[in-house]
Amino acid sequence: MKRHVLLVEDDPRVRRVLRLALEDEGYEVAEAATGCAGLQALEADPPDVVLLDLMLPDTDGFAVCRGIRRDSAVPVIMVTARTDSHDVVAGLEAGADDYVTKPLVAKELSARIRALLRRAQASAEPASSRVVVDDLEIDVDEGTVRRGGELLPLTRTEFRLLAELARHEGRVCSREHLLERVWGYGYFGDNRLVDVHIRRLRTKIERDPANPRHVVTARGLGYRLVTPGG
Amino acid sequence: MPRHLPRVRLGLRDRVTIAFGLMALLLSALLAAVTWVLVTRDLLDQRQAVAQVEANDNAQVLAARLAARDGSVASVIDSLPKAVGSALLVLHDGQWYSSLLSRDPSMLPGELRSHVVGGSVTEQVTVIDGSKYLLVGVPLRRHGDALFELFPLADLDHTYHVLAITLVAVAAGTSAAGLMAGRYASRRAFRPLRKLTGAAEAFAQGDLGVRLEERDPDLVGLARSFNRTADAFAQRVAADARFAADVSHELRTPLTTMLNSAEILARRRAELPERLREPLDLLVTDLDRFRVLVVDLIEISRDYTSGERDTEPLVIADLTCRAADAAARRHVTEVAPGAERVQIEGDKRRLERVVTNLVQNAEVHGGGCTAVLVSADDGEAVISVDDQGPGVRPVDRERVFERFARRGSSDGTRGVGLGLAIVRQHVLWHGGSIHVEGRPGGGARFVVRLPVRGVRA
Repeated sequence: MKRHVLLVEDDPRVRRVLRLALEDEGYEVAEAATGCAGLQALEADPPDVVLLDLMLPDTDGFAVCRGIRRDSAVPVIMVTARTDSHDVVAGLEAGADDYVTKPLVAKELSARIRALLRRAQASAEPASSRVVVDDLEIDVDEGTVRRGGELLPLTRTEFRLLAELARHEGRVCSREHLLERVWGYGYFGDNRLVDVHIRRLRTKIERDPANPRHVVTARGLGYRLVTPGG
Repeated sequence: MPRHLPRVRLGLRDRVTIAFGLMALLLSALLAAVTWVLVTRDLLDQRQAVAQVEANDNAQVLAARLAARDGSVASVIDSLPKAVGSALLVLHDGQWYSSLLSRDPSMLPGELRSHVVGGSVTEQVTVIDGSKYLLVGVPLRRHGDALFELFPLADLDHTYHVLAITLVAVAAGTSAAGLMAGRYASRRAFRPLRKLTGAAEAFAQGDLGVRLEERDPDLVGLARSFNRTADAFAQRVAADARFAADVSHELRTPLTTMLNSAEILARRRAELPERLREPLDLLVTDLDRFRVLVVDLIEISRDYTSGERDTEPLVIADLTCRAADAAARRHVTEVAPGAERVQIEGDKRRLERVVTNLVQNAEVHGGGCTAVLVSADDGEAVISVDDQGPGVRPVDRERVFERFARRGSSDGTRGVGLGLAIVRQHVLWHGGSIHVEGRPGGGARFVVRLPVRGVRA
């Protein structure tokens, strides 16, 4: 089945060439020249992945990103100007799953999309595809998290992050490890991806995100999920 | 060609110090000489005056008693008062009398004797048996009679000796104090100069933010003009960087179009006619170089255009292992004992770039990376990257870190790029240093030193 990519990009030439290149990589591509058109297209024909340029003429990219997140868990890859700018953190906090910088190449983009669309990996033991931590209930096969029976609206990336932490049963996961397992970055992932996603995850699963009880920070080492056993 | 002044071997500070010392020596020597002359003359004068008075008194008493025929000549001489060690010789009626057996008239200089006998009081310093004496001769009333008295000057000599030692010691001490004062004064005086030197050096090393204090009224002009020059230069550099950043930002959109179009073509390389394949390969290769160049330009110009400083604690050994082994596509990194847990406060992306660029440089221009070593040394984390290429000539060891420095490469293309300039910029950003040296056994060794934050517990 062909994956469906929504491309929100204002420069017509870049839009055209990315469509051609992504189609060449085997994706079906829908184009939107503005943020508004992007949000409409999202509703009309829900894509598997959104590629969102932060520099848009009508609204700013962060607002579009928050608009997408309001009622969709679709993976969003943002296109930023620079890796070191605060745009990256702002974009991630607005709900983006990953980012790429210009000049971007379809081959690289395709690798990012594939990583985001991977399924969460279950624990080595098939029996424990369901993990219960305190009032949290993580079902790896189903891809759902419930708190007190209520379904939590996690994005696919947030879920995979939580599942990866759960797989380690209370042991610390380094950020490098999480970058590799969740985002598919071989070596040079951006730690901020992990940090911002952990923050977002906490606002959804923790009762008091400022004092997390489930996902705790191991200073200088990484993160771990506090399980009853450990 | 700039003209160079003839080389002086001594530094300014040394010269000031020596000038102070010489001045002190000269002054104290002069003072000592004057003291010496005045004191010795004065002492001798006093002694002479006393001796004359005593000799005159003795002569009068002697003459009176001889005239009165009061006892024998010898007993009269014995009864006269004499200073310790002094001796009397009396010529009476052509006959010599002496108060001491060891003193006889042959000791008297003939000239002096005839002078005194001729009727004038005479005195002279003379040496008898190796000791100095003051000899005073007084004619007696009766013609042909005379009294000679010898006053020992040995104690005076001793005083002179002590005085000489004291004066030499004082002169030497003063000179030493002068040297020290010169050292201190020159250090004080040159402190602003040293600050200026330090600032200029830091500036030359790429720290464009360094400025001098404009407080000292004597140096405010110099400081101000340094600061003004530095401001102007920093602004110029920032403007250049902004221009480079703007240009490369603008280039990214067309570059995206070109790269992706080329990628589509490359994917269909087999479907293309034979004649088009070579130009396509050339296009793809050079577009990739173009991309690297644009990305590097953005990277190197960003520090001037953005003041962001996000740092986090990083285990330098882990980071280096991952980045270096990935860049070399094999295991090349060794960690020295004690360096495994060394942490530095840094920017992960920049440090990865440092390691990656150094290893890539070794791979492309140095005949392959032979080793990467992480070690800890005196509060610093040290990363050294070795290669087996021809090495870097000593004259090029500074230049190699400049932007677009050229270095030969194994594939025949000239090494033109920003890789090492980015490395240096990122190392300086972390407050570290970098240099290149010859590796024992051939090849080059790039050594990065980064200040350590602490060792992870």
